[in-house]
Amino acid sequence: MLIAPSRLQRLWPPAGFVPLAWRNLTANKPRLIRSSGGIGFAVLLMLMQLGFQRAFFNASLEIIQRLDGDIFLQSASKYRFATRDPFPRRDLDAARAVSGVASAWPLYADWFDVFWRNPSDGKSFLVAVFAFEPDHPVLRLPGVDGNLEELSELDTVLIDRHARRFLGMDPSIEQSELNGVKVRVVGGFALGPNFESDGTVAIGDRTFAQLLPGPGGDPPGVEVGVIKLRTGSDPVAVQRAIRAKLPPEIAVMSKAQLLELERNFQADVSSAGPIFAMGTLVGFVVGMLIAYQIIYTDLAEQLPQYATMKAIGYRTRYLVRVVLEQAAFSGLAGWIPAWLLSIVLYSVVGEVALLQMRMTWDLALISLVLTLSMCLISAVLAVRRVIALDPAEVF
Amino acid sequence: MTEAQVGVGRARQPKRVALAWRILTYEKGRTALAIAGVFMAILLIFVELGFFFAVPQGGMLLYDNMQFDLLMCSNQYEYQAQPGQFPRSQLEQARALPEVAQATPLYFGSAKWRSGEDGKWPDVFVIGFDPQRRLFEVDDINRQLGVLEETDTVLVDTGTRPMFGPLTTGRVVKIGDRTETIGGRYDLGTGFMGLGVILVSDLNFARLFPYRSLDQVNLGPIQLKAGVEPNRAAEELRKLVGPDTRIFTRSELEAHEAAYWTTRTSVGLIFGSGLIISFIVGIMVVYQTLATQVSRLLPQFATLKAIGYANRFLDGTVITMSLLIVIVGFVPATAAALGLYSVIRDETLLPVAMTATRLATVFAATLVMASISALLSLSSLRRADPADVF
Repeated sequence: MLIAPSRLQRLWPPAGFVPLAWRNLTANKPRLIRSSGGIGFAVLLMLMQLGFQRAFFNASLEIIQRLDGDIFLQSASKYRFATRDPFPRRDLDAARAVSGVASAWPLYADWFDVFWRNPSDGKSFLVAVFAFEPDHPVLRLPGVDGNLEELSELDTVLIDRHARRFLGMDPSIEQSELNGVKVRVVGGFALGPNFESDGTVAIGDRTFAQLLPGPGGDPPGVEVGVIKLRTGSDPVAVQRAIRAKLPPEIAVMSKAQLLELERNFQADVSSAGPIFAMGTLVGFVVGMLIAYQIIYTDLAEQLPQYATMKAIGYRTRYLVRVVLEQAAFSGLAGWIPAWLLSIVLYSVVGEVALLQMRMTWDLALISLVLTLSMCLISAVLAVRRVIALDPAEVF
Repeated sequence: MTEAQVGVGRARQPKRVALAWRILTYEKGRTALAIAGVFMAILLIFVELGFFFAVPQGGMLLYDNMQFDLLMCSNQYEYQAQPGQFPRSQLEQARALPEVAQATPLYFGSAKWRSGEDGKWPDVFVIGFDPQRRLFEVDDINRQLGVLEETDTVLVDTGTRPMFGPLTTGRVVKIGDRTETIGGRYDLGTGFMGLGVILVSDLNFARLFPYRSLDQVNLGPIQLKAGVEPNRAAEELRKLVGPDTRIFTRSELEAHEAAYWTTRTSVGLIFGSGLIISFIVGIMVVYQTLATQVSRLLPQFATLKAIGYANRFLDGTVITMSLLIVIVGFVPATAAALGLYSVIRDETLLPVAMTATRLATVFAATLVMASISALLSLSSLRRADPADVF
């Protein structure tokens, strides 16, 4: 039997308590390494799947999060954010007149009609386009360098430095083409690709109107109306007042409602949800099997010791607790290295795949809960041997 | 090493298997657990591999159901749903070649399906072609080609999502600025074309997209006359059409689409990393089992050593145990993978399917996995020193 390092003994546990589970766990170092390796990889698998899932969903929600407003107008028939379904500008102007509204400005957008020319190889690629009045930038683009106001000049563009590499959106380039029209690059931002697009450009409303004029050469329709409230006004009341003033073809939404629409759409329609959920589930089951194997083997080896303890009067309840504690420790011993490794992997994979893989506290917590529950379920399944144990039979 | 020893080694081959088998069958519960672990690991590899190939294959869905030997497209071609455009005159030139039996223009467009559930207007992917031509290999389509000739009538893919509302024949829907009637359904799959796909005649396509000219074609599937070698005909055509138009043979097209999905999107990385992790998990599981067995049976192994069995024999026994575990685990894992693939097909509408190559690949990977785990656990076996144990 191993004598725990004195350092550990001082810290853990309180005096008078024999940390049997801990000692069992650390008694055989090679086995501990083996078991934490086994559980750890299963945890790592779950963490990667969860991370991918988060990254995908967050990527499609991020642009909505970055809309700088309190209330939003869009076509009632718009079923997701990344689809063009514009509404007339006059509805936005009508909303501006509602009391409590401080400002109401348009976001123009398109996902499927604008091709960016990679200046280095001359090939054209579909990109997402966002446009606004340069004096009223309703979209807070991340990491903007360059002057937004330069977008008021015709045929100028801000490019996405985090776009997929084959688009050639290198910050050093000075000009390229959008749908064959020469444009000047006046700066960049750091957004990155998502489900719908490999890269994004931001342009001024006038450039957008030239690129994608409305039917009959009219100014293009507004994709999202971004409304800011006067300080102190009641958002619910103002939303209701705007609703009353606009035709039913226009949806009046809070940011939470806008996010909800997108989240529901993604969960409903995209394959990413089930794919990663299945990956996580498989990781969980594999982890459970590994944990069961570890606990079962350990119990088999310690059976005489458990029988002895039973014989000298320890209650089954205590022994069960020891087994469960040990399972929880094994889980932790696998989770900690897996969690650390996943942070490294997130940043490597995120960099290579241009996904925003971030380790958040809730992700850490979810994976920890999954790990502990997979170990505890295995322990509960394996512990029946201890419960059924009859000291007389063992010896 | 003397010849006699080598001879003995050979004679012991079946004995080694027999010993490994007896160790494994001695404690059935423990072995069953090991096999269950291996089973899950192999299943995981199947699933990741399934996704890895399903995504490019989802992109091939339309092509796999079309009759053609060569595909003409613009040199701006990215992948099937983003093909670019080229002039129809080039297809007509191609048709004039003696090798070419048929060259059909295919049109792609995206329109608002203005009759969705809850007043939403989902985007529908529209495929236009001349219904006089039998372009598709799908019976449902070929049977209903006559329906497409009716004015403002469409055929709907059964994979179209529920948000488009009921897909019943006779339902009148608004698509773009037109009122169309659903003439029937066909079973092909939406792949990565979108949430819903409809087929229309080229004439109807022109009505749906009035600003588009039928002189600009998205894809030109070409059928060659019997006996014509596709590669040679492709060379011939390339000379004819010039650099702005591209000619793919079927195998070139397949390679292009697979490369697009694995390198241009995150697919390769995501499922590639999943594949690697599941492989490592598999190694861990088998290693776990073997190392436990070896350390438990250390006295017995030491005894064998003491009575003169060579290290090689003991190593061989552990490796054999490892192989036996994974081979036995492989069988149910394959069966479960088949079941899981069909669940995935229903859930994600991706064409995940088992192929002979995949089966062979996973089996080979499994054997590698077993060998690595066995080699890792040999170090514990080395500890079997008769002098120490007793």
